[in-house]
Amino acid sequence: MKRIAAIVLMVFALGCAKKYTKAPDTAGAPGGLTQEELEAGRIPEESVTEMDIAGRDAAAESDFSLDDQGKSAFKDIYFDYDQYDIRTDARPVLDGIASFLKNSGETNIVIEGHCDDRGTNEYNLALGENRAKSAKNYLVSRGVSPDRIIVITFGEEKPLCMEPAESCWQQNRRAHFVIVKSRFQ
Amino acid sequence: MIRIFLFIILILGSGVWIPPSAEAKVYLDITSPAVRKLPLMIRTPGTPASREIESIVKSDLGFTGLFTFVDPGVPGAEIIADIGVEVSDGFRVTLSLQDLIMNREVLRRRLISSVVRPLAHSISDAIYMTVTGKEGMFRTKITYLVNTAPGRKELQMMDWDGARSRTVTAKGLTSSHCWSQDGKYLLYASGRKRKWKIYIFDLKDFREMTLFTAEGLNMVGGTSRSELVALSSSRDGDSEIFTMDLYGKGFRKITRSFAIDVSPVFSPDGSRIAFVSDRGGTPQIYTMNLQGGDLRRLTFEGSYNTSPSWSPDGKWIAYSGRTHGKNQIFMVQSDGSEIKQLTGSGNNENPSFSPDGFFVAFDSDRDGRRGIYIVSLRDGGEKRITPKKMRASSPEWSPYLK
Repeated sequence: MKRIAAIVLMVFALGCAKKYTKAPDTAGAPGGLTQEELEAGRIPEESVTEMDIAGRDAAAESDFSLDDQGKSAFKDIYFDYDQYDIRTDARPVLDGIASFLKNSGETNIVIEGHCDDRGTNEYNLALGENRAKSAKNYLVSRGVSPDRIIVITFGEEKPLCMEPAESCWQQNRRAHFVIVKSRFQ
Repeated sequence: MIRIFLFIILILGSGVWIPPSAEAKVYLDITSPAVRKLPLMIRTPGTPASREIESIVKSDLGFTGLFTFVDPGVPGAEIIADIGVEVSDGFRVTLSLQDLIMNREVLRRRLISSVVRPLAHSISDAIYMTVTGKEGMFRTKITYLVNTAPGRKELQMMDWDGARSRTVTAKGLTSSHCWSQDGKYLLYASGRKRKWKIYIFDLKDFREMTLFTAEGLNMVGGTSRSELVALSSSRDGDSEIFTMDLYGKGFRKITRSFAIDVSPVFSPDGSRIAFVSDRGGTPQIYTMNLQGGDLRRLTFEGSYNTSPSWSPDGKWIAYSGRTHGKNQIFMVQSDGSEIKQLTGSGNNENPSFSPDGFFVAFDSDRDGRRGIYIVSLRDGGEKRITPKKMRASSPEWSPYLK
């Protein structure tokens, strides 16, 4: 009798194993839910619903933006499409920023890199960071200490201009400079 | 002993009873390219709750393109689904499927829930499984980003059909995000207080923890079934691809190039990573093994190809590519051999496969404000699932969820 029970168990074990390998793409849950599974599954479902978190922490936590807090004394510099090298027309602006920083030792600068909104957010965030870093490297080459410069990328998330036209996209492909008094942590 | 035997039968068989002879029958072979439509009749008692359930089930099954619905009393149905609904301390449903040709019941199941929509989706899953022999995706979810102000994006989550959306995090500027393969965690990169960190969010406790932090831009790509996380970080200068595990351990640098490398996703078997690199001068899709070796460029058409998403069977990679000045969704075979274009109007970006591989979610500005759409790869049927007034983007389809 024990042997029969063992065989019965083995048959079911094999049956289950087979069922599992049949559907290698699944993360575990079989098609429909049995009563037990649904009851087990409804706990997280419910806890999510009950916790009304929408908007709860929006006010509590940090704003990522900085440029709203301080108006820039400097012009933006512009970049070519999908490029991050410093154009010749950007050099006078950067030279002006470098000499300003060298003459005012208490200040620091935030460089924001931006992109136009064509293309993918993730790639554009990396591109925006490279644009801000290019500007940083130029300032460092003009004698500004790298400790006084912080770079931030916004990618395509803060466009100045919303029209789908090259003149507008050009305005968005920029590095923006914000002078800040506070020291960076 | 016989009692024990019966007990085992009862446990394994509870809720599901399929006569042995019907076990092998698959009504629709969804792996075949020319699959027919199954005529299905749904009968409910007609109470408000049962009507709501019926309408959700019809919407679920209808979008698969695999069913036609036959009204009660009209001939022509092959299967009848009887959905009995009892409302007392939640909803108690008895689902019975009858094969009218063989004249027998092929499924009987009892379901209990206090929430209508997941209950209805479970009914759809049960019908779909009986008819196709495959798991349905009606209880899956989609995470996506909502642009609430310039420089501010929050991560939200909704059912696959766009219902029951809720905020996961509203802090800062959230960007790339993905699911753990067990469906228990969300991972996302968020810019807060001048730092881009990667966070992990426990969906059971609805709680956020920091997973990875470093100087520069840090973005999460994808996860593998062996609990690996692929990410990009510019901590060493330009953006490179790294992997680590879900606990933040085993950090490894995979790429070493003087270029932007972002958006890494694992192949379903976890053996390769697809990612975006501009090492050739423009952003293109590449794949490599987990050591960074055996590098292959997949896309050569056009000068801007980004956002790879690997299909669950590993055969295809969906991506967004620019053609005639607009971004469209394409699929390329993972060996680069064949390309298909999925979209044609507006700008379409950020594709993500459903876990059954039959649908792709993406964002599009074709109707004005950017929103989330899903397209059926069976019949090309499309629908917008986010409201017209919401600015939504970057959908990530969940794995199968319990």
